[in-house]
This record gives sequence, C-alpha cells and structure tokens, in this order.
Amino acid sequence: MSIYTKLAWRNIFRNKRRSLIAGSAIGLGLAAMMFADALIKGMEASLLESATSSFMGEAQIHGEGFRESFEVDRTIADIDRVEALLAGDSLIAHSAPRVLALCMISSPANLSTITMVGVDPEREKFLTQVDDAIVDGSYLSPGNQANLVMGQGLADLLEVTPGERIVLTVAQAETGDLSQELFRVSGIFRLGIEELDRGMCFIHLDRAQSMLALEGRVHQIALKFTDSHFGGITESAFWNRYTTPGNEAAGWKALLPQLAAAFALISVQMAIMGFILFGIVGLGIANTLFMSLYDRLFEFGVLRAVGTRPFAMGQIIVLEAGSLAILGIIMGVLLGSVVIYILGTTGIDYAGVEFAGATIRDRLYPIARIEQFTVYPVFVFVITMIVGLYPGWYAARLVPAEAMRNAL
Amino acid sequence: MNEHTFVIETSGVTKEYHENGAPVLALRGVDLQVKPGEFTAIVGPSGSGKTTLLNLISGLDTITSGKVWLAGNLLSEMTGRELSDFRRDQIGFIFQAHNLIPVLSVAENVEYIMLLQGVAKPERRARVDEMLKRLGMSGYSHRMPSQLSGGQQQRAAIARAMVSNPSLILADEPTANLDSATAIELIEMMRELNQSTGMTFIFSTHDQKIMDRARRLLVLVDGQIEKDEVRS
Repeated sequence: MSIYTKLAWRNIFRNKRRSLIAGSAIGLGLAAMMFADALIKGMEASLLESATSSFMGEAQIHGEGFRESFEVDRTIADIDRVEALLAGDSLIAHSAPRVLALCMISSPANLSTITMVGVDPEREKFLTQVDDAIVDGSYLSPGNQANLVMGQGLADLLEVTPGERIVLTVAQAETGDLSQELFRVSGIFRLGIEELDRGMCFIHLDRAQSMLALEGRVHQIALKFTDSHFGGITESAFWNRYTTPGNEAAGWKALLPQLAAAFALISVQMAIMGFILFGIVGLGIANTLFMSLYDRLFEFGVLRAVGTRPFAMGQIIVLEAGSLAILGIIMGVLLGSVVIYILGTTGIDYAGVEFAGATIRDRLYPIARIEQFTVYPVFVFVITMIVGLYPGWYAARLVPAEAMRNAL
Repeated sequence: MNEHTFVIETSGVTKEYHENGAPVLALRGVDLQVKPGEFTAIVGPSGSGKTTLLNLISGLDTITSGKVWLAGNLLSEMTGRELSDFRRDQIGFIFQAHNLIPVLSVAENVEYIMLLQGVAKPERRARVDEMLKRLGMSGYSHRMPSQLSGGQQQRAAIARAMVSNPSLILADEPTANLDSATAIELIEMMRELNQSTGMTFIFSTHDQKIMDRARRLLVLVDGQIEKDEVRS
C-alpha cells in the first residue's frame, strides 16, 4: 500500500460520523439504483411474459404483408416446408399454426366485429394462456369442431354463457364471398387484457380454414423458443432462414414495437435517474471532501512543506474519495442485496397495471442480475473518484504558507 | 552570488499581504546571507515578519518582489514540483505545533520524507531507528502523535526534519508551546545537532532564554532587519 493510499484510507476513519454519513449517501444511492434496475428488469420480464405468453408468442412467421394488411389471402407460402424446418430447429420449443380473420360475431342479444382465430387446441396450449384463463365452461376440445371460446368482455357484450349459440360471419379468401356458421360457446376466458378479452374468439383451425376457404393454409405460426431471450435478438440467421419469398419472420421487438420502444425509454430514464441521483450524491461527496480538506489545512500545509508534490496532494484527496466510495459501495451492495432479495421473494402487487399495450398479470418480482453488483458499483466508484478531482485539484494548488496561515 | 558561500541569500525581499482588502507590508526589502553551519535566531515582536521571512526563504510562500537563492538556486525560477523536491531534499521543517501527521505513527512520520525520496525500506528503518534513538524517542516509535506530550511531538518533528540529512533546518517558534525546561532542553538539543552534524539552523523565537543560546541574532522590526548580531 502506498503512503498516499495509507494516508487516504486512515483519514476516512478520522471523522467516523462524517465518513459514515457520506458513505451512507453513496450506499443509499447505489442501493436505490440497484433496486430500480431490479424492479425495471422485473417489470420488463413480467410485461414481456404477459405480452408473449398470453397470445402473441415470442416470435411469429407470417405470410408476407399479412401483418400490415390483415388480408385473408396472404397466407404462409410453402407451409409444409416451413413446418418441417421448424420441427427440426433446435431453437424452437413449440410452434402453433393459426388462421386469423376479421369477423362479425352475433348472439340473439348483440353483435360485434372481432378477430376470429383458428387454432390447433393441443399445439396452442404451449403458446397461449387462454386454456389456463378459462373462468367459465371449458377450453376447445379436440372432438367438437363447433366449439368456440371467447373472452369475458365479449361474452358480457353478447350476453352469452357457455352452452349458448352464436354466429360467425366472415369473408372468404379469393372470392370475398360471405361464409356464416353456427358455434356453441364452450368456454369463457379472462386474461385481463382488453384486446383479448373483448376482441377475440378462438375456434378450431380446420373449421376456420373451411370457413375462409383456406384448406391447408395458415396466416401465422406463433413460436416459442427454447431460450426465451432469443425472441428479443434481432440480428440472427434464424430470421433470414424463415423470411423467404412470401414469408416473413419477426420477434417480439418487431411485433410489439411500442413495448420495445418503451423498454428503450425506460433505459434512458434509468440513465437520467442515475445521473440526477449521483449528481446529488456527488455534490454531497465533494462537500464532504472540502469540509475534510478545510479541517486539515495546516496538515496539508505541512505535507506540502516537507516535500509532497502538488500532484500527490491531489492524489491523496482523490484516493480519499475512492476510500469513501469503497465504504459506500460495501454498504450499498449489502443494502441493495437485502432489499432485492426480500422483494424478489415476496413480490410487489402490480397485477392489472397496463404499460405500453401490455398488462402485468401477476405480482411483480424484482430481478437480481450481475450488472447490479458489478457495473453499478464500478460506476459509483468512478463517479466518486471523478467528483474527488475538484477538491483534489484545489489541494494540489494550495500554497503551503497560506494553507497554514488560514488554518490558524 | 557564490552558491558555495551561502546557504541562503536574499536581496530586497518584500512581501505584501491583503487583509480585509487593505495591503499590509510584512517584509520591506530584506537582504540576508546565511552561511553553512550557522545557528541563527530571528527575533522580534509579533507581526514583525519572522514567520513570513522563514516562509519566503523556504519557498512556502511567494515573494512580492526581490530574490531568494537557496543553496545557489533562485527560488522564483523553480516550478511547484521542483520546489517540493527541493524542500524534500534540502530543508527540514519544525513548526510551532501540529507538526506531525495525526494518522501516521511517530516512526511513519519520521519515515515519510524518505518514502517520498524513494529510499529503500531497510535503510529507511535503520535511519528512523537511529534518529529516534538519538532524540530519546526509541520507545515511542509506534505511538500516534495524539499519544505524545508537546515536547515529545517536537522531538519527533526534529527527527523528521533531520532524518534525510538536509542542508538547512528551519524552525518557526519551535518552543512556543513548551514549558521553559522542555524549551531549553529542545534548543540545547538543536544546538548539539548543529555542532555535531554541521547542519544550518534558522529559527524564529521571542523567548529570551533561546535567544541567549543563538550564535547569530537577527532582530526583525516592522518587516526590516534592524540588527544583525554575530556572537562568539
């Protein structure tokens, strides 16, 4: 340990109360940043989970232009080849083909325009939570092609309950002829997402293909990856593999650009918050260092008198700032870890809160990640050292005689 | 100027301060020469400029006008870093009080200058032990300054000032905070060290008993040398 480091470290413990207060400010700032990051990561994970697992999937393959136009004719090209590719793709955990079309749904009491979704009930179970969200009746059973499930909001509008009949009317592919069929409500679900609860109904895939005159063709294949993070990676050969003439593959960032933009905005907000928080803490540290310096002006004069170089004087102050930072980081990491652990275990009740088109469906659990324990402490250490440069520069410019005279 | 003749030479040194916006002339054209091995006391009433003169001849403060040569080096031509190195290697300081760095032990305080000089650890330790022994402080090497009496602190300060064998020791009222017996003991010790090592000592004081022991007496009044008396 150099003599300057020794001086700096021991000086920290000269005025224990002052150092403890300054260290606590650093520690609280760090703990707040760590917790805010954990909370945001928890919120992102919850929103993403809600957005992708409720219905959308982590990625989708569409017929080219379908996503923008929603035209019934734009189905996936060469569906058998695509399905075969997906079946052998190690990145894919599950996939579910779908047919989607705008339709008119009518009951004896009311009617509405919604999205009709034709699904393979067994494969769809791995992609959506509709089957888990049934609050009345039952999910689509493989045997009965005339069954239909709808959201609570839509059921309320149409004033229907399980067992009652409703009629779907759609325009067929190619011709645009109207096709109308009778269904029986088998179940009502409630996902807590307005768009799904009020604006969608699910029927069997074969029946939907038949209604729309799309035998064997689908509009969309929803995907679930073996690693859920993959859906957020935009640069990968995977997307090129499935974006072939007539088809396009997209992850959740492209499917939910508002959510991706919101996450990016949160990152910026986090950076601004960190800047403000550590700006305030930094000024407090600078004040502490100056107070400590003024308290020891004579001593600094003596150090200069006996031959300590100006640069070394500044070095001592910056090292003191670093020592304070270490003290604060230890306190902050301990405090942050405890808070994240406790709330990461118990969770915070944010259920039902909507954000950027997605809804938090469960308690929100802050997520600890390695950056909180590495990047943030290093950031705090560097910031504190930078803050120490100003009092350090002041100390380096002290005229020894003036310092000693002013101290008396 | 012959750099081998004088340890210190000043020419027309003036220092002006500003106190509450008003200029105060602390030194008025001081001309002074100090030869190697001298044991000189600068005396005078409070505010006569004793401390200011010591600060200027050691480069601890900036002069308003005039010139100061220290061991042949013109101080005004030296950078802050060069001055620091020069003080480290050529001058030992003893102040009135608060000489020692409170967070360093007696041994570490004495060792400090040698650390700055880059002296190897075994040599540092040997010289610290020798100097503390010479000043009767062997048993106090691990004590912190706060655990020492005023006299012991001044002895430790003398040890620090002398341990790197500087050519000049400057002491600003080194006995002001000590009782009479300790003050005389300390000044006798400094005189003995002056005689045995040949180091030049310059100290400011207004203690008559100490003035009596000086071989050269500079009387400073209102920032000017009023009397320069060399005793046999």
